[in-house]
Amino acid sequence: MISVTIDGKKTQVPVGTTVLKAAEMAGIEIPTLCDHPQLTPYGGCRLCLVEIEGARTLQTSCTLPVSNGMEVRTNTPRIHEARKFILTLLFSERNHFCMYCQMSGGDCELQNAAYGEDMTHWPLQPNWQPFAVDGSHEHIVLDHNRCILCRRCVRACGELIGNFTLGMSERGSLSMLAADLDVPLGESTCVSCGTCVQVCPTGALIDRASAYLGREADAERIKSTCVGCSVGCAVELVVRDNQLLRVEGDWDGPVNAGILCQVGRFESLKDARQRIVTPLLRKNGTLKAATWEEALSYLSDKLKPLAGKNGDGVAALASTRLPNETLYAFRQLFAGKLGSEMVTSIEEGVTVNAAGRVAQELGGPFEGDLDALKSADCVVAIGADLVDNHQVAGFLLRRALPNGTKLVVIDPFENGLHDLADYSLRPEKGTDYDLLKGLMSAIISLGLTQSEPADLATHTPEEVSQTTGVPAATIRDAAQMIATSQKPTFIFGKGVTRQESPQVLKALIELARLVGALDPERSAIIGTKGQANSTAAYMYGLDKPFEINGHQAVYLALGDDKVSQRLLKRLEKAPFIAAQASHASAVTAMADAVLPVEMWAEQEGHYLNLGGRLQEAHRGLSPPPEAWSNVKVLDAIATRMGYILDTNWQKALHDRVPTTRFSK
Amino acid sequence: MTKPKIASDWLAACAGCHMSLLDIDERIVEIAKLVDIRATPITDLKEPDEGGVDVGILTGAINTTTNEEVASKMRERCKILVSLGDCAVFGGVIAMRNFFELEDALRRAYVETESTDEEGKVPSSPELGVPTPVRAVHEVVDVDVFVPGCPPDADVIYYVLSELAKGRIPEIKDRNLQWH
Repeated sequence: MISVTIDGKKTQVPVGTTVLKAAEMAGIEIPTLCDHPQLTPYGGCRLCLVEIEGARTLQTSCTLPVSNGMEVRTNTPRIHEARKFILTLLFSERNHFCMYCQMSGGDCELQNAAYGEDMTHWPLQPNWQPFAVDGSHEHIVLDHNRCILCRRCVRACGELIGNFTLGMSERGSLSMLAADLDVPLGESTCVSCGTCVQVCPTGALIDRASAYLGREADAERIKSTCVGCSVGCAVELVVRDNQLLRVEGDWDGPVNAGILCQVGRFESLKDARQRIVTPLLRKNGTLKAATWEEALSYLSDKLKPLAGKNGDGVAALASTRLPNETLYAFRQLFAGKLGSEMVTSIEEGVTVNAAGRVAQELGGPFEGDLDALKSADCVVAIGADLVDNHQVAGFLLRRALPNGTKLVVIDPFENGLHDLADYSLRPEKGTDYDLLKGLMSAIISLGLTQSEPADLATHTPEEVSQTTGVPAATIRDAAQMIATSQKPTFIFGKGVTRQESPQVLKALIELARLVGALDPERSAIIGTKGQANSTAAYMYGLDKPFEINGHQAVYLALGDDKVSQRLLKRLEKAPFIAAQASHASAVTAMADAVLPVEMWAEQEGHYLNLGGRLQEAHRGLSPPPEAWSNVKVLDAIATRMGYILDTNWQKALHDRVPTTRFSK
Repeated sequence: MTKPKIASDWLAACAGCHMSLLDIDERIVEIAKLVDIRATPITDLKEPDEGGVDVGILTGAINTTTNEEVASKMRERCKILVSLGDCAVFGGVIAMRNFFELEDALRRAYVETESTDEEGKVPSSPELGVPTPVRAVHEVVDVDVFVPGCPPDADVIYYVLSELAKGRIPEIKDRNLQWH
């Protein structure tokens, strides 16, 4: 620790702390514009200038590390004069007229900075040069007129997302924010994660959907968890008058630390499906509105007689987007009380089963958490296209690459990661098992094993190159890269888990063991899983392949989920379908009873992410008056049939051997 | 002690600032007790007294040579000049015109607007003066007090007027400082 005096206040800070951070720790506020807590200090806007005793000129506090005994002043006439001058120049550069900007009135950091300096007017008038407004992007509007060139977006795009779409063109007064080689944003390599919008201090980058719909002061922020996929990003729902204005990444989120992907930030708001607002019962061939009372009686009469029937009773399917509370109630009602054998999820266990079986054989969890990507120096991605899905996991990986993290991609199929890989291995379809054997054999022959040689290392790179089509030299080089890294981390996805046999996964685990990656202290092996609650669905035993066979009824707890064409085809054969769903769909159209439920932004509940992290979803919007929570519907049906469901969902999570350690 | 004289005028503006002044509601009676309200766009007297006033208030941006003359006259005849509202302080919405060619802006406004018939033409009466680039008032004459806002809140205007009435220069900061 070293000591620093700021505005007469003496304080101790760790070595390397910037003056800005030290001031913050001492409770002294220094205005900033280009600085952002999640981004590397840049020192571009000069607003954070401070006086340092003994220094000739004012210094940017965001980039200046504290030295022992330093004396700092943040509140002198000289500093205020400098800040006003900086702001005056900023306002004169482009069009910063507040009266027709959606950020005005609290949301604009530039305006707030001017208020902070009691600026009543602009000493210099703007130069009246019009700049382009780039409206080419589906979700984002880039208004160069409002840009102050602080480069927060540029740094966010590179440092947080690893996408490097945004940069600057030209220099000095001609500097302009540019996408790629100065193409329209909508035609660029932008992945629509929207992080640039979230960090923009002015109205230069705005979200098309929520622009002008309300200021921060008019809206409420509700912390929740994204249910777009199993990564489980922490989000903030920005809500005004029961309208979801936008979704932002929660900077305090343990998994995503503020970043989101297109699915979580933008797609989740674009649901154009029609809401189901009342229970519906099929009468004389058509669905008619009914009361809850009628619907519950009807279902109870239909389902109760099917209790205890095996194979010709009720088959039940639940979405993996539903929270733990619902999935647990679902299992109790259909597997427990009604005694059905066919109780599963719409993922049918595909994304977790293989890992689950391996965990059972190993007698404990073997998977790690995405946190491992922060320190991994070599990542092996197999059958996981993190550019296409589980994108935030992809961002965490991609942003590590410029820091020297190596990437080996194994996937016979098109995969966005191939282009980013140090070694992109594309074995012939169905030969990834052979390839892994070759990699292991190469590691052993290189003498780089961290543990006992593996039984599976039966084929040399030369031999497997015959079947896989991957050159032996490439296999050796990739093996060397993996084996010589300090913290190798393995990510496997659908390409591995959807295979019938868990042999590829077992080979991968063997490979990981060989290079010491099964030691959680050193590194990790991570499965991407599927939807938001794939892991919990597996833990509750909702993992069977779904078959209707002789079942007389199908109960579908769909929530706000969509059903695949494959599943829809199978459902067509069902003699009777009851569905609890938030939106109308092909499934509800063919159902005999439809029960209206809450959608993701309306619900309360828990989710278990791919790394075993138990997270909370919270209600941001009030549901339509007749839409019940998913768990309440199941409870009501059970009660009507004379059953009582317990709420020990937490305890039941431990009924099986988990693939990952649980954490909060 | 005689009551301080106050005059106001508007330049290129939407009249919203004067509307906001009226929004101080019955408090205008208090103001009237403290000050002598002279020429304003909403009183009979249209020009500030030749003998001068204590406080002159201008709303709106400088848009034409006529605006320049009005602003200069107000500056000459008042002791304290207040620039009220975003158009006067910054150029405001009016200043959007500066991002276009003058001819284009005039044609758009007087000829091409959807509600204009074939008779539409750019007016050229000498009373209107000659259009100039749009400027904030302080670009043309010295300003003593800036009160931004589009329009400034009635409470802010009341604060400004009551301070001036008591012979003090209002301090525009914190809650009273609003650019929008």
